Amino acid sequence: MQKDQPVLRLQELTRVHGSGATEVHALRGIDLDVFPGELVAVMGPSGSGKSTLLTIAGGLDTPTSGKVLVEGTDITTASRKQMAALRRRSIGYVFQDYNLIPALTAAENVALPRELDGTSARKARREALAALEEMGLGQLADRFPDEMSGGQQQRVAIARALVGDRRLVLADEPTGALDSETGESVLGLLRARCDAGAAGVLVTHEPRFAAWADRVVFLRDGSVTDTTLRSQAETLLQGGVAAQ
Amino acid sequence: MSTPFHAWRAAIRIARRDAWRFKGRSALVLSMIALPIVGVSAVDITVRSSDLTMEQQLTRDIGAADARLNGTGIANMPIYQGLKDHEYAQVDEKAPYRSEPTDITKAFPAGARTLEDTSGSAKSRTTHGLLDVDIRELKAADPMAAGIMTLKQGRFPAQADEVAATTEFLKQSGLKVGDEVSFRDFDRKYTVTGSYELPDFLKDAQLNALPGALLAPYAKALTAKGLSSPDATVSYLADVKSSDGFTWNMVKQANTKGVYVTSRAVKLDPPARSEVALYVKHPEYGATSGNSLPANTALLATTATVVGLAMLEICLLAGPAFAVGARRSRRQLGLVGANGGDRRHIRAIVLAGGGVIGAVAAVTGTALGLGLTVLLRPFLEEYAGQRFGGIEIRPLELLGIALLALVTGLLAAIVPAVVASRQSVLSSLTGRRGIRRANRVLPVFGAAAVCLGTGLAFIGATDTDNVLAVGGGSAIAELGIVALTPTLVGLFGRLGRWLPLSPRLALRDAVRNRGRTAPAVAAVLAAVAGTVAIATYAASSDQESRDGYTAYLPNGTVSLSVDTAGSRELPAVKAAVEKDLPVAGVADFSRIVVGEKTCDVWSSDTGCGYSELVTPKASQCPLYDERNGKLSTAQKRKWAKNWRCASTSRPVAVDTSDGILVGDASILKALGVHDTAAEKALADGRAVVFDKRQVDKNGRITLALIKDYSDENTAEKSPHKTFVAYRPKTGKTNGYGVTAVVSQAAAKAAGVRTVPYGMIVSTSRMPSSTERQTLDGAMDKLGVQANIRVEEGYVSKNSVIMLALAIFAGLVTIGAAGIATGLAQADAEPDLRTLTAVGAPPRVRRTLSGFQCGVVAAMGVLLGSAAGTLPAVGLRKAEERQALKMYHESLDHGWGLNTLPHTPIVVPWATLAALIVAVPLGAALLAALVTRSRSELARRAEG
Repeated sequence: MQKDQPVLRLQELTRVHGSGATEVHALRGIDLDVFPGELVAVMGPSGSGKSTLLTIAGGLDTPTSGKVLVEGTDITTASRKQMAALRRRSIGYVFQDYNLIPALTAAENVALPRELDGTSARKARREALAALEEMGLGQLADRFPDEMSGGQQQRVAIARALVGDRRLVLADEPTGALDSETGESVLGLLRARCDAGAAGVLVTHEPRFAAWADRVVFLRDGSVTDTTLRSQAETLLQGGVAAQ
Repeated sequence: MSTPFHAWRAAIRIARRDAWRFKGRSALVLSMIALPIVGVSAVDITVRSSDLTMEQQLTRDIGAADARLNGTGIANMPIYQGLKDHEYAQVDEKAPYRSEPTDITKAFPAGARTLEDTSGSAKSRTTHGLLDVDIRELKAADPMAAGIMTLKQGRFPAQADEVAATTEFLKQSGLKVGDEVSFRDFDRKYTVTGSYELPDFLKDAQLNALPGALLAPYAKALTAKGLSSPDATVSYLADVKSSDGFTWNMVKQANTKGVYVTSRAVKLDPPARSEVALYVKHPEYGATSGNSLPANTALLATTATVVGLAMLEICLLAGPAFAVGARRSRRQLGLVGANGGDRRHIRAIVLAGGGVIGAVAAVTGTALGLGLTVLLRPFLEEYAGQRFGGIEIRPLELLGIALLALVTGLLAAIVPAVVASRQSVLSSLTGRRGIRRANRVLPVFGAAAVCLGTGLAFIGATDTDNVLAVGGGSAIAELGIVALTPTLVGLFGRLGRWLPLSPRLALRDAVRNRGRTAPAVAAVLAAVAGTVAIATYAASSDQESRDGYTAYLPNGTVSLSVDTAGSRELPAVKAAVEKDLPVAGVADFSRIVVGEKTCDVWSSDTGCGYSELVTPKASQCPLYDERNGKLSTAQKRKWAKNWRCASTSRPVAVDTSDGILVGDASILKALGVHDTAAEKALADGRAVVFDKRQVDKNGRITLALIKDYSDENTAEKSPHKTFVAYRPKTGKTNGYGVTAVVSQAAAKAAGVRTVPYGMIVSTSRMPSSTERQTLDGAMDKLGVQANIRVEEGYVSKNSVIMLALAIFAGLVTIGAAGIATGLAQADAEPDLRTLTAVGAPPRVRRTLSGFQCGVVAAMGVLLGSAAGTLPAVGLRKAEERQALKMYHESLDHGWGLNTLPHTPIVVPWATLAALIVAVPLGAALLAALVTRSRSELARRAEG
């Protein structure tokens, strides 16, 4: 599976918030590669640095030291403009909830990154419709977010994360606001997109959902404490349950 | 194809849908921007519509005729005619003035068809009494007259005993079509056959009759009774044979007969200036007056300043509303950022919000303006007293006005857009509340502008008298204070430690979030500064007028004078006065008249003259004597202070040509002269004289009886009558502008003719408005044109303006403070939840929002009051300098202005107190009242 260059490579990633007495080490020397077709789950207790890792990986925050390579480009040295362009063309985000812009329909939400990139509205819409169709969401195209269920909204958000040539999807607790059944179906969709060639990073604290990943990375106090392969998912699940 | 344009489309789409989603907020901003646009576009369309084309104007003036021929009233002396209305000069400038009618018929071109059009007046009987009405003798049904009168009902007169009436006449008289109308002192009756209106003069009460049917027999009847008959002016409409119309050559031909011509052909296609003899001989004629460059520039500068300040005010008010929008949709903007939107895109979305609302405001504003004008057209026409030529729309002007709305919307959204785009995507997404650092350049810029503006205004007020410099400097200084507002708001924060919890929290919150507080404070500041400036200026001018007021008569006294016809009605007038007013005493007076008995008061007809007092040579002011043109400046200054040169321009209650009232001692009492020696002198046949200049060395005054107004008749050459003078002690009032009082017997003895002219009525108290209206009504019923004047002392017209200004500033303050409070509330929700969690009672929410609103209002009002005083004081100082300059120039040139100017500066404390105390208090209470005291349910997941 790990046949190509990684889509996302984190090298010696460190993030320190504040200074002096208020200094907090959110991340301490993290190394992580995510390859095409791979879904990596990041788990850990509250405050372990999961979300910080994801925001730095997506260029929404900058590391104190270390490198972040997205498809070979070091985004830590990119300008704000280049960063925004990378988010339009290479990186897709899915948050816990309120992912969609309420003023835009599902299709327009999906088309947004392409339109911001300067693609004509018609072409962007065509691409968005194709992406929605591909995920079986074609019937939602002209609905506004407040006319969709939470699960539907998250699925549209995944479609948007991967529209165009984007191959990296960063999902921060995408099932956090959903019931377990809907959550499963959303993760199923994410898994399917990764199987189709995308690279995914999933932040979750639910072992059940982490089980959909190829690899699970455990974080504690900003450091990776353990890495588990998919084959050991069952153990993970049980460990998680035992921990509860 | 990839272009930034596509990204803009997405931004506009989001902004458009957001505007629709938050209808309340959008409607608020929309109305703020659209309202002035409605007003301005309605005014533009109204002004353009009432501005007639030359063709339309000609149709109203001369109907379908080729020309109108008017006499010039200077016999048949040849004239040069210009291209403007009634612009002409006598060819022989030196020819003496002779009042003699022109024979227009001599100027008719050969073969022309003409229609006589005579205007005069008559006193008609109505259901209410008598009414002065214009009479127009014109065969209105003739096709040549088509367009002059618009028939509304019935038909135009076809026989000598028929008239048509304007709708205004019917309204005023209470008569209707089919009724008979009759006239005073005239036994014929006329049937009203129809009603019409004059498109240019909707408020004219006029009757239309056939030529010769009314005016001539009416004048004959009056003359037979020894009464004066009203003037009538004749003109002719003419249709010429030539298809070129009434050409310039034909006009010049008519000019040689002393006839002035309004020609359609000439008006529509005027000759070159070089062909107009008037302009060749007198280049000063035909200059385009009122369009001088400096005046235009000043007007343009003033308009630009007013429009600019109005736009600034709207931007300051609407800006925070966009900031609220941007703050509330922070997560949405964060999502756009997460999906690759850079700062440009975020700015575009917020700016597009301004653009969308601006565009909608532009369309609805101009459409409403147009709709309102169309809808209100009949009322507007009635108000203006003139029918429009049609609804005239100037697309370019309307586009410009509409563009103003779009620009205002965009400008208002600029600052919120920049602020929103500077937020990091992460903090937008997590909802973390960051405090924006204050801009460091803005205060420097603001301080510089304040210094520059104040300096300019100061120099303008002290070193020059340039009002524009004061106004411009004040405007710059005000903009500087607006730019300084965030810094000044920061200074207010230091007061916080002495305040109780809620106001402290409100003040700290306002200071920490200057980004949203400052625009609201600036909006209040701008409105209050304007109000304070105008109020201070108005109060100061008012005080100046009050100090400079000269009473016509003792306080509460009423003067009443009538026209010639009214003198017969004086007994009835007196009865009405005694019935309707709280009368304490009535002093009747007459005036001296010269000329035939049928002459009207002030008539300049042949045979009608006037009397004038001759100032003795020893009392004449040398400054006014042309022969003393070589007086030195020092001499002029010395003479200006001499009693001979004292100002004579005192207001007079009763105007006679000679300043003499004829009557008994009661007049003296009514004029506030309590001098028994004067009463005795009057009874003895002497003249009581108030103006020492008129008394010669022999103690006499001399009256010249001048036969008529022709140039050859001067006071010196006319017969003189003299009266022995007595000078009473009057103090400051000095006879209230009456020069002398002469008894009836003395006038008779001197051989001058007098007519009863009116009365001075002393009252027991100030007549009320109702009493005055009743008296006016009684005069109407009697058909008397009475000039009634009640001395009420100085009446200020300022109170309404002051109130309106205070209300305007109050509304803006409450609006701006309310918007800022809404913004603060959106931010303060987590704080309030924390407060509730630590046990704060529910009312804290209300008190906090009340104080938040009050803090913004108070800061704005305080800063605005300070900023508004500057231009007012500056303007007054500049005016003082102007007045002083005038005074010194007047002294140097001997123009006779010899009282030191008085330019007080008065602070309108009542308005200020209302603004500083009542408005913030009201704003706070209102905000507290409309705030819910219970917390909203927290969102399911925060951040």
